[in-house]
Formats: sequence, C-alpha cells, structure tokens
Amino acid sequence: MVFNSYTFFAFFAAVLLMHNLPFSWRVKKVNLLLASYVFYAAWNPPFILLLWLSTVIDFFVGRALYNQENPHKKKLLLVVSLIGNLGMLCFFKYGTFFLDNFVLLVNALGMDFHPAKPNIILPAGISFYTFTTLCYTIDMYEKKSEPVKSMLDFSLFVTFFPHLVAGPIVRPPQLVPQFETPRSATTKQMMDGLLLLNQSLGYVAIHVRICLRSQSHVDNHSAYKNWRGGHGHGHCTVDRATTRY
Amino acid sequence: MTDQPLVKASLLMATMVVLVVLGAEIMIRAHGVTPCFDEGPPLWSNSRAQVYGDSERMVVFIGSSRIKFDLNIALWEQLTGTKAVQLAIEGGNPRPALYDLANDPDFKGCLVVDVTEGIFFDNDHGRGGFKRSVKYYHDQTPAQKVSFWLNRPLESALVILDEENFSLNACLNALEIPSRPGVFMMPVFPLDFSRASFNRETRMTDRFVSDTSLQERQKAIWAFFDKEPPKPLRSTELDSIFSSVKEAVDKIQSRGGKVVFVRTPSTDPMYSDEMKLYPREKYWDRLLKETNCTGIHFKDYPAISNFKCPELSHLSPKDAQTFTRHFAGLLETEAHWKFPNTKL
Repeated sequence: MVFNSYTFFAFFAAVLLMHNLPFSWRVKKVNLLLASYVFYAAWNPPFILLLWLSTVIDFFVGRALYNQENPHKKKLLLVVSLIGNLGMLCFFKYGTFFLDNFVLLVNALGMDFHPAKPNIILPAGISFYTFTTLCYTIDMYEKKSEPVKSMLDFSLFVTFFPHLVAGPIVRPPQLVPQFETPRSATTKQMMDGLLLLNQSLGYVAIHVRICLRSQSHVDNHSAYKNWRGGHGHGHCTVDRATTRY
Repeated sequence: MTDQPLVKASLLMATMVVLVVLGAEIMIRAHGVTPCFDEGPPLWSNSRAQVYGDSERMVVFIGSSRIKFDLNIALWEQLTGTKAVQLAIEGGNPRPALYDLANDPDFKGCLVVDVTEGIFFDNDHGRGGFKRSVKYYHDQTPAQKVSFWLNRPLESALVILDEENFSLNACLNALEIPSRPGVFMMPVFPLDFSRASFNRETRMTDRFVSDTSLQERQKAIWAFFDKEPPKPLRSTELDSIFSSVKEAVDKIQSRGGKVVFVRTPSTDPMYSDEMKLYPREKYWDRLLKETNCTGIHFKDYPAISNFKCPELSHLSPKDAQTFTRHFAGLLETEAHWKFPNTKL
C-alpha cells in the first residue's frame, strides 16, 4: 500500500477512527497491530508469514540473549539470529545477483551450467524490518536495553505501519516505551502530523512529477518511435508512464 | 504555535481546496468536457479479469486504437447478446496480449484481433502499453485493486481527475513550452479528440467531428509521426512474428477458443501510405494464411469499405455504429460465429 493512494487514505481514516474510539490501551494496540498486518498484506498477503517468522524468532532469541550468561551459548544465539535474518535478506534481495555471478564464474571456468531463472519476488520492506529486528537482538546481546516484555509490544515495534516498508530503522528504546503506557495525541500533535503528511504528498504530487519531466522526454522519444507507422492516442501512454510515480 | 491558529489554517486550506477543485470542475464542464477514465493498466486489468466465463456470451477484443473507436460496445451487446471485453490499447502492439491470453489455460473464448500493420508487425517498439498492462494485471496487489474501486466513483463524477488532460504534467504539456534544442517534444493531441468510458470504449467528441480545424490538427500529428518511416523488418524477423502468432492462435483454438483478425478502416491518403509500407499480400494475407484464421478486411466489404475517417485513422461515433452492425453480421456469415441474439 503506497502512501499516496486512495487505499491508504481509506486505511488511514479507518485506523485513526478506531484509535480514537474509547477502547482500552491493549485493544488499541491490537487494532494498530492488525492494521499494520493489513497494511503489509495489501501488497502481497503470503509474505506476511516472513514478517511473523522474523518477529517470533527475534522475540525469543532476543530474550534468551539477554538472559544467557554463558558467552559461547550467547554467541551461538547471536549467530542463529544473524543467519536467520541476513539469510532471509540475502535470499530475497541478493539471490538472483549471487546466482548470476555464480553462473558467470562456473561458465568462465569452462563448466556448462545454466540453471532455471529463480524469479524471486522481493518482499516489500524486508531490509527495514530485518535491520529493525537485528538492532533488537544486537542490543540484547550487548545488554544495551531491556528485553521487550510482551509479544504484542514487540510485534507492534517490528510491524508498526508508518515505518514498516519505508523506514526509518528504529531501535527498541525509541519506540517500545511508547507502546508500554497509554498515549493519546493532542490536537496540536494531530494537526502537525496531518500538516507533515500534506507536505509530503504535495512534494510527491508536484516536485517529483516536475523533476520527472526530464525523464518524460526520454519516454516521449520512445513513444514517438511507437507511433511510427501506427496511429492512435499516443500521448496518453507517455503521460501515464511518467505521472504514475 | 498554539492549537487554535493551526485549526483555523487547516479549515482555510480545506475551504480553498474545495473552492479551487469545484471552480476548476465547473470551468472545465462549461467547455463541454465530460468525465473520462484513465485507461492505464488498472482499468485494463479490470477488463482483462472479465475474459473468463461463458465463452458463448463473450467476445474479447485486442488491438490498437482503431477498434476502440470503431466498436460501439452498447450496440454490439444489444445486437449479439454477447458481452464485449475491450482490451485494445491506443498505440499498443496487441501481440503481448495475444500471447498472454494464449498462455492462460482458462481463456477459451472468442477473440477478435484488430490489426494495424505498422503496430502489429513491429518487432521492437509499440508494445510498451500492453507489456506494462499485462505485467500489472498479473502482479496487481490487493491495495491496487482497492484503489481502483475507490477511484472509480471519483473518476465518474469529476472531470478534473482526467489524468490525460488535466493532470499537472498534462497541463504543462498543453502549454507547449519550447524545449532545449535536440530534446524531443511529443505533440499534444486536441482535448476534444476523444473521451474514454469505463468499458474502455473511446469515442470522438461531437465537437471534434464537426470542427475541421481540430481534424486538421490531428492529421498534422499523424503526419508528424509518419515523418520517420519505420525500418523494414528482416524476413527472419517477420517469420518469427508469424510463427509466434500462429503458435498463440493454435493454443487458443486447441482449447476450443476462436480467433478472427480484423483490419479496421482508415482513409486515403493514410490507407494508401499504409499499404505502401505494409503491402496486403505480404502482411495481411500471409497472416491469415499462416494462422489459418478468418480475417475481415474492411476493403473487402462494400458496406464498410468507404467510411471517411475525420482524421483519416478512426471512425466517428455515427460510423462506428454502422461498422459495428456490419462487423457483427460478418462474423456470423464469414467466420460462422453464432451469437445468442439473431437480430443481425
């Protein structure tokens, strides 16, 4: 779900409404967590399993890291977390890159190796949530902060939709304490937030599109070639190509 | 900053936005402009999803702009009793859509392929619209689907949301500000040339049909596109196109589907120029021979052979009705397609 889409407007309005209904703080957090899962699943539902996997592994590994006194076991736990997180990131983000280079290498060595194209889809925001959970386990390893007590708070820390797919990478002490006690936004905070949201949308709507006009000239030339020998409604294709950003 | 001034500023901003949007909407509508749907990949994907179901009651159309202008969908559906799914794209080479339908085991329906030689027999360019749309259809996310359905009532109600003509870039393009030397500038089509509806039918506006100066402007744009003639395809490239099209047609027919090619009307001098570049025997006739399909070439049937396209390339709404009526009849007599309605 991209931020400058009708879906996000409807989603955000619904979340805002739910969050301001007279529910308990726990119910509000559950609402936020469910909303964050909906936000992520709206892109590609099956990848929510990866998010759950990352959340569950690091919640328990993080707690074990903090409580473990044996330095060898502690290191082993850290390695498990690093392999789990970075392995997943490497597979999805760099799998094709590694495979292509491996094929180039073995072909250069004279071996005839041509594997099927892996067609790996990159899960949205995988870098952000991987490094967010890694931050947590490393903090636990170094005992820089206390382990998160509740699974609900940790899940929300990893999944909270404003930072889930576009960052920034947050560290537990920055966000988790905000989930532990009830919070409500003042009118000023609410208006400031909406102002920032508007400013960003304005930036996307005007500034980015105008900057991309230079790109549109390149696209125009391609579209012009499309039209050689054929006729129709050419400019719409060109404009759409550029204004979709 | 205190809370109060921010609330007041927000209210002022909201009021200004509403007033500006309403003012622009009223001004545009006062010029006779009606709502138009953005024909990008989301709308195409919505139509693409409709190609399944009762193959006896549905006909799918792919091609370039001509079939979008020339087929009156409401009349087609009334005459034949079949639903028309319009998948043609302006300026788009329909071959990627043909391959996509051929590779979809669930598509077993009737397919009409509109052939504009300069686009259909292009090995490199002209595919952009279809390739992007086919990819979008297969990769569409739930969020994109929701956005599409939220967008629909808004686009139906507000002319100002016509991205092709009133988006920021479209308005900047319309100013036709000269660019740096050497930078290619795409010509701007007249606003009144056409409007697109939700079912992806495109119609010339009444103003365009009656205003010869607009028609001349559009003809000049076609002439601009024709300034640089396409490089002729090598025979191996042409063989490859015929071979891949035949393979796709065979796949559809092997599942019980039907395929017919149609050459929609264009008017001289454009038609004669097209035939010089793409001689009928070498392209159209060979296409039918290689694929063993029925083809309906407008020049072969007196009832549809002498239309006068206002800008040489597309039919006016009135002629589109005549074409639709005869074309549906020809599919029954020439291709032996059976439609639920027998009013033809």
